[in-house]
Parts: sequence; structure tokens; C-alpha cells
Amino acid sequence: MIEIERIDVFYGEFHVLKNVSLNVAEKDLTILTGPNGHGKSTLLKAICGLQPVCSGRIRFAGKDITRLSPERRVEKGIVYIAENRHLFPQMSVLKNLKLGAYNKNARRDEAANLAAVFELFPRLKERKKQPASTLSGGEARMLAFARGLMSNARFLAIDEPSLGLAPNLRMNVFNAIREVHKRELTILLVEQNIPKIAELADRIHLLEEGEMTFSGDRETALAQDTIKQAFLGM
Amino acid sequence: MIMKLTKDLKVLLLIYLILLLVPIFVHTDLYLMNILIMCLIWSVVAASWDLIMGFSGIFTFGQIAFFVIGAYSSAILTQTFDLSPWLGMPFGGVVAGLTGLLVGLPCLRLKGAYVALVTFAVHMILAPLLKSDLGRALGTGGSQGILTIKPMHFWGYSFSSMEPLPWFYTALFISLLCLLAVYRIIHSNWGLAFTAIRDAEPFAKSLGINGFKYKLVVFGITSFLTGIIGGFYAHYVGVLSTRILGLNLFLILMVMLVIGGLGRFPGAVIGAYLATFLSEWLRPMGNYRMLIFGGLVVLLVVYMPQGIAEILFPQDKPGPLERIRRRVFPKERRASLSNDS
Amino acid sequence: MYELIDVIISGVTNGSVYAMMAVGLSLVYGVTKVFNFAYGSLYTLGGYLAFTFFGCGFGYPLVILLTLVSLYLAGLLIERVIIRPLRRREDWEMLAMMVTLGLAIFLDNLYQVVYGPYVKSLPIMFSGNLQLAGFMLSIQDLVIFGIAVLVMGGFMIFLNTHRLGMAIEAVAQDMTGAQIVGIPKDRVFGFTFAISTVLAGFGGILLAPKYFITPFGGWDILVKAWVITALGGMGSVRGSLYAAFLLGIIEALIGWQFGLTWILFAWFAVLLGTLIVRPQGLFGTWG
Repeated sequence: MIEIERIDVFYGEFHVLKNVSLNVAEKDLTILTGPNGHGKSTLLKAICGLQPVCSGRIRFAGKDITRLSPERRVEKGIVYIAENRHLFPQMSVLKNLKLGAYNKNARRDEAANLAAVFELFPRLKERKKQPASTLSGGEARMLAFARGLMSNARFLAIDEPSLGLAPNLRMNVFNAIREVHKRELTILLVEQNIPKIAELADRIHLLEEGEMTFSGDRETALAQDTIKQAFLGM
Repeated sequence: MIMKLTKDLKVLLLIYLILLLVPIFVHTDLYLMNILIMCLIWSVVAASWDLIMGFSGIFTFGQIAFFVIGAYSSAILTQTFDLSPWLGMPFGGVVAGLTGLLVGLPCLRLKGAYVALVTFAVHMILAPLLKSDLGRALGTGGSQGILTIKPMHFWGYSFSSMEPLPWFYTALFISLLCLLAVYRIIHSNWGLAFTAIRDAEPFAKSLGINGFKYKLVVFGITSFLTGIIGGFYAHYVGVLSTRILGLNLFLILMVMLVIGGLGRFPGAVIGAYLATFLSEWLRPMGNYRMLIFGGLVVLLVVYMPQGIAEILFPQDKPGPLERIRRRVFPKERRASLSNDS
Repeated sequence: MYELIDVIISGVTNGSVYAMMAVGLSLVYGVTKVFNFAYGSLYTLGGYLAFTFFGCGFGYPLVILLTLVSLYLAGLLIERVIIRPLRRREDWEMLAMMVTLGLAIFLDNLYQVVYGPYVKSLPIMFSGNLQLAGFMLSIQDLVIFGIAVLVMGGFMIFLNTHRLGMAIEAVAQDMTGAQIVGIPKDRVFGFTFAISTVLAGFGGILLAPKYFITPFGGWDILVKAWVITALGGMGSVRGSLYAAFLLGIIEALIGWQFGLTWILFAWFAVLLGTLIVRPQGLFGTWG
């Protein structure tokens, strides 16, 4: 569904992504892992249009989206759930969610999506009138995730959803991801906490120093020493 | 205090070398000499403004205000206490410097735009203040201004307005000192601290760099230098009024900075010369002059924000043509990289 | 005593227009993060445009319509051509300040060249006075007050209920978040800038009959609008409202008691006081 073909990204003079290619098949759950600061977030942002690409192509469902603006990508169904969440702090949980349905395709399903999201995250329903800034870390992640779901995504790019969460909250997040994946969403997940989530993955990729050093299906991946090192080394 | 002969210093010294010799040929042209002297004066103001704004990233409008404070202080002091202008100028500098510190204090905790607002307000307040009764009591001459200011003298010889050479070389000397001071600061530890605060304040703080202290320092120093040259201006021109606080001068100074490139010493100096000559050249156009300057600022900021300095001496980066090429044709980068690997 | 009430009423009227303009300024800074130094010149632009349209022989309603539309387009143009290209650079905030300042002075001198240095004025909308509880209120003032309040009220409702209004707030609170949600950031910037230009210019039209139109008259307004937004809290529409009325009244009182020259000092004192005591303003939220 997503085809990334040999992209390069520079931050000024710094070469962050070097000739990176990645394919995510429809309905797959793909994990992108690798050490911190080596470009994983940048890759996700490039897919979602928040980071311009200096060369190479990105295709979605066969169409070239390399030069497409972020809002148009959201319309097509590409949704980014950022590590930094980027919630609207002074707005209520409900308003945040409603804004999640801003794009044209999601507006008519707003009510239905809202109900589904509250079912998935009952805690958010309890807090729906509270300003987003009052939420705890875990709840904020849930809200970010839920807001992303409101956008009628066909493809979710999720950046480190479990980072800094207590183990039980982590399980909540992974369960939510599993649920969502069951509903036939294609997911590209950046995670360093592989053991817990590996069973869900169809494919695993390793990004080191801006270069894709491994791409393969789950069995092959977990048998690789490099992968083992990648998550043992954390 | 050894100064390495870096590129920017070379350019500065070259400029001054030329200036040293130029009067030999043109000293009979009073008009031209006057322009050159004003260039010398403005180059200090512009360079100081660039130091605090371009280099240290603090958006202030205070420069002209400090200039005027220095001018008035020196004029009043020399007149009231019958002192030599050679004493008056540093005094003007000190008064301006102290005012700078005073203005800087509330600005320390403020975000960029607010500092701009406060310093702009200071500028706007100064004119009515000088014209008020309080100002009159201090000797500012109210709205009339000060009509007689002591001319400079050197060992009994009193400078006259018919003889530009003594004025010129005095201005040359003083401005060179001031600019060298700016240069020295830029290339010192202080300069490093200033850029650190400009580019990454939280990071700088984590390194133990006290943002407040350095911000105050840069306010104080730039206003001090500007005040000194303001004092010179007062004695040179011989009269002072609050008209200089009008926005036109502001605009011309901004053009100096933008032409020269923010934070690129001695870009502001070059900008000062270019803008002053341009201003004189456009004078016959009356009101259109300021129109052109305003349009110039807008165009320059949008299309050439790095200013001339970037073209003349890019800082150890690929040359300007290369950079333009890279931005327009980013794919070429990949080609060149794969050639490397 | 009557005089005092008169003064306060005058202050309130001015305050309502200041409020409208402060809202525009607060909006543009909160959303686009651009400190628009040309705001005062845009205020003047409203006056001059209206003056020109009056010269064509149109009546007030048409003049206002044409002026507002022109202001909207001008705002879009400025944002598109001058501000947007700057965003690519890291130091764009400072460059934006410089460019709007350059634009401001360019516009002021343009006015001087085109319209000459003599003051211009607009005809009074409604002449006559109203007797109310023993006080004489000029109908013009009442109308100004009413219009300003309506505009602001309408705008605030828009921000809270309409989808675009929520989108604007979203961009102000978290730019990246807005993009994540699919809000067209650039279009929001353009729209916000254009609306703020309209608000500024409209203020110019409303106050022109009383205070006349001069090429450099925008700077006073700029400083006042900024002080109001600083006091009210940058980005807080409600804060700007309260601050505007408060300062409008204070200004009127000081002018009455101490004379016009002290007004500027008073504004400055308020600004300084606010920034020292409570830098985020009374209701600073978006910050």
C-alpha cells in the first residue's frame, strides 16, 4: 500500500535518511525498529508529509504522493500518530476527537467513529469534557491514538506509542493496535519494545544510521542476530 | 590582545584603509566628505544593532534611542559643565549604556516579540520625553532642540564645519575603535555565548550559560558604543532635535542591516555605506525615497535574507551558487553523493 | 460628575474599537506567530480606502463593503507573497518582524505620496445625540460601539462553533497537531491574516470620523493594540476584550485629568507593568 522508493532526507547538511526504501503491503502490520535518533520518526514524518523529501518517491495505493501536502494525505487516509502526541492542550478531549474528524472523508462518520473510539478507550469517555492538558501521559497517548482513528484512516503511521508508559498501559495500547489491525487497517509501527509486539507483525524492518539494514518477514527477522541485538541492546 | 586576521577583520581593515586614503582626493568636496562622515557614524550604529539583533538574536528597536540619548547627553554635559567633547562622548556612551541596561532588564524574561514591543515603546516615548518640561529642565531644549553644541577641538584647534578633514579622521578613529570592539566581542567567548543563546537557549542554559547576564551585557555594550558615536554626531552636526527619532532613520538603518546580512560582520558596515549613499542619491525624489527604502526592505528580506555578506564571504559553506543550485535541484545532491560512495 | 461619565463613555467607545483590533492582532499572533508591525498601517489603509471609495460617490454601506473586501484581499496577498516565503528559514520570526516593519513604513509613505500629508476624514455616519438618563450620547458613538461589539461577538461565536473557527484555534494551539488532523495550515494562515487585516482596517473606518486619517497615524494604534494584547494575554480573545475596555477607559481618564501628552506614557507604563508583573497577561493561554 505504501511504497517508499529510495528517499533521502536532509536536515540542513545532515543526511538523515540515506537511500531508504520500504514497502508496506495492504492490511499488514509492519514494525520499523532501530536505535534512537537514527531516522525512524523522520521516515514516518516523510510518509505523512510533515518532512519534505529531497529525492526519491513515495507512493500510496499506487499513486505518487511525494509532493502532496499533509492535509491531502490525511484525506487519502494516511494518518500519523506522533510520539509527541501534538494534542490541542486547551481543548477538551471531545473537541480534540472531533477535530480528528476534520478531513472531508471523516466528517460524515464523526458520530460513528466517536462511539467506536469511546468503546475502545472508555477512560477517554470519562474524561471527555476535560482539557487535554490535564490528561496523564498514558491517557494523552490514548487520546492521540483515538484522534488518529477519528480520521478514517486507511493507513496508520504510529510512532513509539508505548514509550514511557507503565506496563499495563502499554498492554492497553498494544491491544488497541491489535483491535484496529483486525479491522483491516494497514499499520506501520515504530517501536523499540519489540518482544511484546512482535507476534503481531507481518514484517519487520531495521533502520540504522539512516539506512535500511534489514527488511523481512517476522520469522526471518527474529532469527537475525542484528534484530536480536537491536532489541537486546535497548 | 592579539587578533587573528580572520576574513571579516581583513575586510574591515581594507575598508578603513581605503577610507584613510580617499580624503586625499576628495577633501574639497564638502558634500561628499559629509556623506562619508555620516557613513562612519552610521556604520557604528548599524554594527552595534547587528551585534545585538543579528548576532545575538534579540529583536530590539532601541538603537536609535540610545544614539539620541548619547547625543543629547554629550551635548548637554559639554555645554553645562564646559567640558571637552572628548569627555562628553564617552559620557554620552556611559549614559546610553546605563539606559541600555535599564531597558534590557525587563526584557530579559520576555519572548522575542515582546522585547521588540518594549524597545519600540522606548523609542516612541523618547521624543515626547525630550520635548517635555522634564526634558527642558535637563537642557534638551524642548521641541526646539539644542541649537549650539560645542564643536570638537584638538589641542586648541577648534574644528570648523568648513574643514571636513579633522572631523573625518576623528570619526575614522573613533568608529574604528568601536568596530574593533564589536569584532572583538564577536570572536570572544562572549560572542560564543551570544550565538548559543540565539540559536538554542535551553541548551545553552543547560550548559550553564547564564542567559540573563549575557543579554544584559549585550544590551549594555551595544548601547554604550552607539551612545559614544551619538555623542560624536552631536558635536559634528552642531544641532540636535527630536526629528532624528522619526521612523525614516529607522527604516534606513534596517536597510543597512538587511543589505549587509544579519549577524554577518562586517556586513552591517558595508550596508551602512550602501544605504547612506543610496539615501543621498534618492534625496531629490522627495517622498518616494522612503517608499523605495520600505520596498527595498521587503524585497531584500524575502529574496535575499542573507544579505550581501553572504555573497561576498560565505562562512565555510559551499559557495552561494552551489547552495542555490542545491536548493533548486535537490536531486543533484543524490547524484553527487552516490559519486562519493 | 457628568463630565466623568462622559469621559468614561468616550473611553468605552474607543475601547470597543480597540477591542476589535486587539482581537485581530491577538489572533494573527496566536495563530501565525507573526508579530505584524504593519498592523497600524493596515488600520490606516482602511481609512484611506474608505476615503477613496467615498470619493467615487458611493454611500456608506457600499464603501464599507468594498473596503472590507479589499482589506481581505490585501491581507491574503501580504501573507502569501511576503510572509509565507520566509517560513522556510529558521530565523523566520525575526525576518517576519523586519519585513512587516518595512512594509509598514512603505505603506505609510505610500499613503503620503498618494494622498498627501494633510489629514483626511470620513463623513459622520449618524449625526445627532440621544438623551439617556440625563446624559447626552452621540449616536455615532453608540453605533460605533454597537458595530464593534457585534463584530467581535460574531467573531468569537465563529471561533467556537464553526469548523473553520475550531481549525484556527487548533493551529494556534498546536501547529503540527493541526496538520496531523488534516487542517490545511497554509490556508488557515492566509485566512487568519486576511481577517486580522479586515479587523484592523475596519477599526480605521470606524474611528476615522473622530480621529481623522493621517499617513503615520497607525503607529499609535499599533502600540495600543499590542499593549492591549499583552495585557490581556497574547492569544486570548477574551483577555483582549477586557483589557481593551479597561485601557480605553483609563486612557480617557488620564487624557481628561493630565492632558494628552501623558497618554502615551500611561500606555507605556501599563505595558511595562504588565510584562514585569505578569508576562503572560491576564488571561494568557496560547502564549
